[in-house]
Amino acid sequence: MPAIRVEGVTKLYRRYGRKRPGGTLKSAILSRVGRGVLAADFSVPALTDVTLEVARGEMTGIVGPNGSGKSTLLKLLAGIVQPTSGRVSVEGRLAALLELGAGFHPEISGRENIEINGLLLGLSRRQIAERFDAIVAFAELEEFLDAPLKTYSSGMAVRLGFSIAAHSDPDVLLVDEVLAVGDEAFSHRCLEKFAEFERAGKTIVVVSHDLALVSQRCRRAVWLEKGRIAADGPAAETVALYRERVAVEEASKRVEVVSSVGEGLAPSRPGRKARIGSGAAVVESVELLDAAGQRAGRIVSRQPAALRMRVKAAAPLSDFVFGYAISTVAGVAVFGSNTDIDGFVPGDFAGEGVVTLEIPSCDLAPGIYSVDAAAHARDGAPYDYRRDVLRFEVTADSPVAGTWNPERRWRFDGAIRWEA
Amino acid sequence: MNPLSRTWRQRVLVAALTRRELVARYRGGLLGFFWSLVNPLLLLAVYATIFRVVFAPRTDVRPYAIFLFGGVLVWSFVSAGLIDTSLTFRANGPLLRKTPVFPEVFPAVAVAARLSHLVLGLPVLGAAIAFAAWRGSLAPGPAAFEFPIVLALLAATVWGFGLAISALALHFGDVRDLLANLLTLAFFLTPILYPIDSVPEKYRPLLRVNPFATFFAAIHETLFFFRPVAAFDWIWMAATAAVALLAGCYVFARLRDSIAEEA
Repeated sequence: MPAIRVEGVTKLYRRYGRKRPGGTLKSAILSRVGRGVLAADFSVPALTDVTLEVARGEMTGIVGPNGSGKSTLLKLLAGIVQPTSGRVSVEGRLAALLELGAGFHPEISGRENIEINGLLLGLSRRQIAERFDAIVAFAELEEFLDAPLKTYSSGMAVRLGFSIAAHSDPDVLLVDEVLAVGDEAFSHRCLEKFAEFERAGKTIVVVSHDLALVSQRCRRAVWLEKGRIAADGPAAETVALYRERVAVEEASKRVEVVSSVGEGLAPSRPGRKARIGSGAAVVESVELLDAAGQRAGRIVSRQPAALRMRVKAAAPLSDFVFGYAISTVAGVAVFGSNTDIDGFVPGDFAGEGVVTLEIPSCDLAPGIYSVDAAAHARDGAPYDYRRDVLRFEVTADSPVAGTWNPERRWRFDGAIRWEA
Repeated sequence: MNPLSRTWRQRVLVAALTRRELVARYRGGLLGFFWSLVNPLLLLAVYATIFRVVFAPRTDVRPYAIFLFGGVLVWSFVSAGLIDTSLTFRANGPLLRKTPVFPEVFPAVAVAARLSHLVLGLPVLGAAIAFAAWRGSLAPGPAAFEFPIVLALLAATVWGFGLAISALALHFGDVRDLLANLLTLAFFLTPILYPIDSVPEKYRPLLRVNPFATFFAAIHETLFFFRPVAAFDWIWMAATAAVALLAGCYVFARLRDSIAEEA
């Protein structure tokens, strides 16, 4: 007997009175006499014909890009939204942790919030009273019980929310991306709690962007893509398939980015300023050229490539350096050099110019790389430093670990023999 | 399952959320729960002064301040209750979107919280009536005991409207404005400022089309004139409450599934 059964479920989100933004009851009534005022204007499909069974005690991860229907699936399982067609059935008591502390009220105390949250999770007053001490102990909030919740840090609120849900003794636990919030130690305790649940034969469904967590902790993973199941199987396999797909998508997105660089729409890495500098010289565009000298987003490893930037000086300059840096998307530096390092002594630069760095053989390993391009003074003061101004993909016939794909030969001496 | 039985099944939660609502409103304030007494007290003081000093007091209803106060106190429950139901799903969006809570509980909580405010303010009205009785200007009688029944039927009516309003307000942006305007209009078309007897007889049936008119006439009967409510009025009020609840349940049930999606 599966704990969760989803049969041919389609979920459309209906919109009422939204034909035009700010739809009104008046317009709905006026425009729809005889058509039923309470009919929906249009529908957005979130899930299409999803069929899924989860066995008791199976910890299942759900992965997929934003908007793929992961959260909708959890909400359907939790009974928060109803399927447009198809059936959802869940056996046993259910606890949904879609947002830790969703039911918390900032003005009332932790104690009072525990009671309300417990009731929301379907506990009776008596059960809440019995488990109260255990909930507080697990959350480590003894001293703050009577303080209003608004005085809690977000970590404290998260601990309390998880603790209440964990102590509601669910048969099925639904978790949506909530472990990312707490501190390391607490996430660890949550994971322990999951393991404990699993041993006790409880069913856990977790939505997460943390692919490592899914592949390590879950037995099974389901990959949702545009509201349909794209893959379903052992967690490690599903996650590997999904990762592959993400890499391909990223690469194709970079191609689009390249074509928009001219308009100054540089993608930025979080936490780093995308563009700094005085503006005395401006890097107007940066392009990658492939072996044929054509603008490209993808190049082949160990083929010629070139980086080309168009620069413009606001006023004539006698102190200028142009440089490029290449790093992996994870931020590991792979290459960096500039005209100063390579021995060019600036004379003068006025108006416009094009700076091309030709690489006869681009020995990068297959993967996605990010380019910084800069114009700056010899002392390093930036005129225009553009981080992550373009990304490109390097492909190769065979995979290589790391970032370097040098020309290479193997040699063997001694008693080593190879088949054919 | 209909919205009423769903609410009944969640009555413990409704009670807890109502308490939370009251506690959260008053906690941290200087006067705390006294606010629920201070507001009506101030109102009473203003009326007593204005209608003694500024306006000539009506001769048919004296003391007019107490007459007015009873009606206004209950009216503030009706109008604040309905406005709160129109806001309740937005205010409780996270709960609706992220927990499997029955949406039915929220209109019930909104009405219950406002009803609690009213009940907390009633001692002020009681004290005013007692004072007037001591002065000899009012003669309280046993008809006052009918007031709780009138109030219960009124609360049921407000709840019924509230169910419909809460669900509609989520989908249509103008419901709140519409409601505010209707309430202003209704304030004058309901016997609050005046006794229903002062409305010319030929207009009275028309006035009763306003679902709240009979209730407020009955409130004046029980808490000011201390006369028993007429049988027809009882039937009319009970029918109003039943129709309001049925209509509210119908609209709510039609829109229920999308509440968690829109909130």
